Amino acid sequence: MKTAPKPAAVRTLNLVQAVNEALDVAMGKDERVMILGEDVGRNGGVFRATEGLWKKYGDDRVVDTPLAEIGIMGSAIGLAITGMRPVAEIQFDGFMPSVFDQVVCHLGRIRSRSRGKMSVPLVLRAPHGGLIHAPEHHSESPEAYFCHTPGIKVVIPSTPYDAKGLLIAAIEDPDPVVFFEPKLLYRSAKGEVPSGHYTVEIGKARLVKEGKDITLLTWGAMTVTCEKAAERLEKEDGVSVEILDLRTLAPLDLDAVLASVGKTGRCVIAHEAPNTGSWAAELSALIAERGLLRLLAPVARVGGWDIRMPLFRLEQYYIPDADRVVMAARKTLSF
Amino acid sequence: MPLKTIASLDIKRLEILNIDGTFDKTLMPKVSDKLLLEMYRLMFQIRAFDERAILLQRSGRLGTYPMITGQEATQCVPPLALKPSDWVVPTYRGGGVYFARGMQMRYGLLYWAGDDRGTHFPEGNNDMIFSIPVGTHLTQVAGLAWGQKLKGQGGVAMTYCGDGTSSKGDLHEALTFAGQFKLPAIYIIENNGWAISVPRKRQAASQTLAQKAWGYGVHGIQVDGNDALAVYAATAEAVARARKGEGPTLIECETYRMGHHTTADDATRYRDGKDVEAWRKKDPISRFKKFLTAKKLWDEKKEKDLSAKTQSWIDGEVKAYEEFPAPNPLNMFADNYDKAPRALIEQRAELEELLKFKGGAKILMSLPPTEGRFP
Repeated sequence: MKTAPKPAAVRTLNLVQAVNEALDVAMGKDERVMILGEDVGRNGGVFRATEGLWKKYGDDRVVDTPLAEIGIMGSAIGLAITGMRPVAEIQFDGFMPSVFDQVVCHLGRIRSRSRGKMSVPLVLRAPHGGLIHAPEHHSESPEAYFCHTPGIKVVIPSTPYDAKGLLIAAIEDPDPVVFFEPKLLYRSAKGEVPSGHYTVEIGKARLVKEGKDITLLTWGAMTVTCEKAAERLEKEDGVSVEILDLRTLAPLDLDAVLASVGKTGRCVIAHEAPNTGSWAAELSALIAERGLLRLLAPVARVGGWDIRMPLFRLEQYYIPDADRVVMAARKTLSF
Repeated sequence: MPLKTIASLDIKRLEILNIDGTFDKTLMPKVSDKLLLEMYRLMFQIRAFDERAILLQRSGRLGTYPMITGQEATQCVPPLALKPSDWVVPTYRGGGVYFARGMQMRYGLLYWAGDDRGTHFPEGNNDMIFSIPVGTHLTQVAGLAWGQKLKGQGGVAMTYCGDGTSSKGDLHEALTFAGQFKLPAIYIIENNGWAISVPRKRQAASQTLAQKAWGYGVHGIQVDGNDALAVYAATAEAVARARKGEGPTLIECETYRMGHHTTADDATRYRDGKDVEAWRKKDPISRFKKFLTAKKLWDEKKEKDLSAKTQSWIDGEVKAYEEFPAPNPLNMFADNYDKAPRALIEQRAELEELLKFKGGAKILMSLPPTEGRFP
C-alpha cells in the first residue's frame, strides 16, 4: 500500500496486455492479491496474461499449481475466506466444467450460508470463445452456466480499456467474480489504456454506438462482429444501428437494455454459445417481460447451434459471423 | 495400546535395457524376435512421423500439434500386449499408441487439422478418442474395464494419463473404483517430466507417482519409460493379471517430453536445455537399436531400408490427408443424436440459408457430399 498516484499515461495496448497490467496494478496496490493457476508463473500463462508477474512478485504470490482445477478453485475459495484476494486462472474455458461443483455448491453460497459473516472475494479468470483455430475444448462459451448460478458476478470485456478497469474492479469486489477474456481479442483488440489504477464499474453496459432503428445486444468477441454487421446494415440498408456491449452479464444492466430496446423497438442478441438455455434466452425473456409494448418485432437470437463446438475447420460456420447478424437484423427490421 | 506399523510401501522400479544396449537377462520378458522388430519399427516410424507433422505445422499445413518425441517406448509398446478387442484410451499426446493399434495416421493429421473426420479408428478395434480436458477419461476407463469384467471374456481396458493429470481428482476416483471392483484395468502414468511448464516435482510431493496405487488397493510399479523391454514386461504382466481376474495395475512410465508441450508452446521459456540433453542420452530408440544390433537382428542395411520405407509411408499418409476434400459445413449437424430433434432440423436449414446468403443459390450443389447420419 504505497505512494502518491502518478499522472496516468495513456498508451495503446492489446487486450491481454491490459489484463496483465490490471493484475500488476492490483498486486502492487494490495499485497493480499495472489495469482494461482496452471503455467501462470515462470511461463507467464499460455496466453502470456501473467507475463513477468512471477519474476516481479515471486513464487508465493504467482503460484504454478499442480494440474488440478478443483484444487485451484477450492483452495482459492479457502484463501479468499481467510482474507486473501486470489485470482485463479483456469487455462481454457473448456476446462471449467470440473470446477462447477465448487462454483455451484459453494462459491456463491458461502456468504449466505454463513449468514453474511464470510465472503469469497475471488476472481476466476478464463479465456473465452472461439475462432483462434484452437484444439477441441479450447473454444467454448460457458457463460450461461455461471450466470445461472446465484451469488456470483460474471464479467466479459471486449476492449483493452474495459479489460483493465473491469479486472481491477473484479479483484476489489467483495463478491466472487467470474472474469471471461475473449481470446480472439487478446491480441486483435487494441485500444488506449491509461497506466496506473482505475476501475470500470461492474454491472454497467457500454454503449458502443448509438442508433435508432435496431439494437444489437452482445458481449465478448461478438461485439466486434456486431460492429462489422452494423457498418454493413447502415451502408447497404440505410438503417441506424445501436450496439450495446453488456460487459457484465450478471448482474445485468437491465436499465441500459430496456432503454435501448425501448428506443429502437427491435433487437438482435448475438453471442457465441448455443441458443438453448443461453444468456441470450434470459435477456430475451426479460425484454419480453418488461418491454413488450415497446417492441416492433420479436427479439431475435443469433448464437451457436445447439450442438457441440465442431473442430476448428468448421468453427466459422458455428460461431455467428457478420452475415448471420445481418440476416437476423434484416428479418427483424422487415417484420 | 501399541503404536505399530501396519502397512508399508514396497515400490519397485523396473529397468531392463541399458542405454548402451546391454540388458538384464534375469528380467528379460519372453518376447519373440518378430515382436522385438515390431517394437523398433513402430518407434522408428512414429518418430519420423512426428518430425514430419511438426514440419507440416510450421509450414501452415496443420493445426496445433502435440509432439511425442522421446516417449515412443511408453506409447508404442504397451498396446502390443493387448488384443484389438481390449479397450485403449491414450492421452492427446497419443499418436504412438494409436499407431501401434494400427491407425492410419492420415486421420491423426486430419484431427489436428481441426477436422472431425479425424476420429477414425480401425474397424474391430476398441479404441476411444482421448479427452482434451485431461484425466476426464480415467473414470470412464474404469467403466470400460467393468464392462469387460461383466462380459467375462478376459478383456481388459488400458489407459494413459500424464504426470500433471495424476494430480487431478479423476485419477483418485478412477483408482478407487478400479481397486474396489477389482477391475481389469491398466492405468499408465506417462510421466514425461512436464505438464506444459510445470515440472513433475511441482505435482505430487510423493517420491513416485507409482506409489499412489497403494492407497487404492491397486498394484503399482514404476518403470523406465524409455526402456521398451521394461515397459513391455510391466504391461504384459499387468495385462495377464487383469485377464486372470486379479485386478488393476498402475504403471508409472518415467520418460521425457523432448519437444515443446505442443507447437503452440515454447519450452525454452521454462526449462534448461541441459536436462533435455541429459535425457537425449537415454533415448528409447537408439538404445533399442543397439540392443537389436547386438542380437544380430538389425544392421545398417535394414535401417536404411526401414528409413526409405518410412519416408514413403509418411509421404503417402500426408498425401492422403491433404487430399481429403474440405468438409461440408452441414456435417456438424450429423450424429449428434440417434434422431435429431426439431431444433437441429431447423438450425441445419438455417445454416443452409446462411450458405446460400454467402455463396448464392447454387452453393449447396458445389459443396462436397455431407457425411454422417442426419436426422
